[in-house]
Amino acid sequence: MRWLAILSLAILAILPFFVPQSVVYLLGLTFIFVVYVISWDLIAGYAGQINLGHTVFIGIGAYTTALLQNPERLGIILPHLPIWLTIILGGLMAVAFGFAIGAICLRLKGYYLALVTAILPLICIQLLNVYSDVFGGYEGFSVGFGKALASSLIGKYYISLAFMLLCIIATVYVIKSPLGIKLKAIREDEELAEAVGIDVVKYKLMAFCLSAFFAGLAGAMMVHYRITVGPDLFDVPLMLTIILSAVIGGLGTIYGPIVGAFMIYLAKNYVFARIVQELSLNVSDEIFLYILLILIILKSPEGIFEKVRRMLA
Amino acid sequence: MLEILIYGIIIGSIWALVSSGFSLVFGVARILNFAHGTFFVLGAYCAILLYPYLGFFSIVPAVILIGAFGWLVYRGLISPVKGYEVMVILITLALALLVEEILLAIFKDISKSFPSLVSGLVTIAGVPVPTNRLLILGIAVVVIVCLDIFIRRTKVGKFIMATSQDMEASMLVGIDVEWVYSITMAISAMLASLAGILYAQIYAVNPATAFRVLIYAFAIVILGGLGSVRGSIVASFIIGFIQVAISMLFEPRWAEIAALATIIFILIVRPKGLFGVE
Repeated sequence: MRWLAILSLAILAILPFFVPQSVVYLLGLTFIFVVYVISWDLIAGYAGQINLGHTVFIGIGAYTTALLQNPERLGIILPHLPIWLTIILGGLMAVAFGFAIGAICLRLKGYYLALVTAILPLICIQLLNVYSDVFGGYEGFSVGFGKALASSLIGKYYISLAFMLLCIIATVYVIKSPLGIKLKAIREDEELAEAVGIDVVKYKLMAFCLSAFFAGLAGAMMVHYRITVGPDLFDVPLMLTIILSAVIGGLGTIYGPIVGAFMIYLAKNYVFARIVQELSLNVSDEIFLYILLILIILKSPEGIFEKVRRMLA
Repeated sequence: MLEILIYGIIIGSIWALVSSGFSLVFGVARILNFAHGTFFVLGAYCAILLYPYLGFFSIVPAVILIGAFGWLVYRGLISPVKGYEVMVILITLALALLVEEILLAIFKDISKSFPSLVSGLVTIAGVPVPTNRLLILGIAVVVIVCLDIFIRRTKVGKFIMATSQDMEASMLVGIDVEWVYSITMAISAMLASLAGILYAQIYAVNPATAFRVLIYAFAIVILGGLGSVRGSIVASFIIGFIQVAISMLFEPRWAEIAALATIIFILIVRPKGLFGVE
């Protein structure tokens, strides 16, 4: 497993010199997408809480940094802030929001978290449109070319790769830490965990905030990678793509969702988009994702990873 | 003020149809159906498509068709994954998005309405109310009363009640639980599609309506208590009043945000809802 990881990393490190620019750009986006998926998996796969509004954290991180870099949209005057600072502020903003939502929903058992978080992205998009002169409405806005992660595409690629690695290492660290073990206990049996003295609500909330932090950071990175911000970062299709990636890879298996994220994101933006273009179909490429998700769930409701593991065992 | 009350009751009666079906399925089968709004929209589109051929009678085949669709969705998609709560949510969510994309591809992003059943105005205590809206209120109330009688008096209804109270015991006395779940799903889909058709007479539907309806359905079931059909009927009217009041006093686009605020408030103050049980 370790050798496989090092090998794939080495390939990713030299890849930009061998493939066309468009592929390099797409891979850079994929790295950020991987962070969306592992941060969702942290709360869904490890703590067992179904958060259907993960895109809210991504969007909040994205809009925070975009607006801090363009304070004139808010009608306030700010000193010029470095990009890395506003990206971190985006992450922290997402944490603040995650804490508020988590504090209300996580103390309740059952379906409340799923119900409330499912609505949040829709409400957020509504708000973006209500205040469209600030948020840019349906179109979003551009943060300006000077605000990109790096001036060259290769530079952006490596920053994005490094960001993904940092987030993976941080997530693995969290999972291996006592916190991660407590989370797994909560996932397996919440009542039993409570009985052995684990403060269930506290640890669920901690995991929720961590998940929100990584998602907020990734959302902010995305803005400075593609230089635009828009409501698509909040939207339900992105949420479902994240879920699909984690489900294909296997919930709660750190490496599984990473592989799943690569597969799905590249398939969606490369293969499905091509199919739609070639056949000149009048549909969105997301239609294939939904069909795929339905088929996968029907074929192996316990997750592909679990199925493969059982077959090997 | 009286205006808000009257229009609130009318829109509340449509929400009552939507949420009673949603609650019924959750209460009986523990299924959180994210495709409930899809039944609503499909019902409306079906009736609009059939209207040129059948006139107002298109409501009947549309409701039956969507009921059958609900049955199929349960048999084909939900039943195979029923043991995995998360997958039930995901598969119905994926279905809802899939149908939305298909509708967008066929009908484009254009709102459509169903012609009014009757025309004219009635004045109630000084407030002019279109007769059509009163008829909608009448239909909704009759259907909900029928639903209540159906569940309490008929054999199938008693099967449904028994299954919701104790699934294993129902199996022991020889009730085909899978069949009961399918029937419940079909009833729920029929209620939602009827609501969609009635809604399309007052307002209009477009493919994105499915998710807007879902917001209200969630707000209502959380307010009324998850799984309590009576609670959700009462909550429907409360949400209806809030929606109309916000639309009249501020702007309609704030109505959904108010629905969310209601949910958050209820979850803080009384998490099990107005009529919920632990």
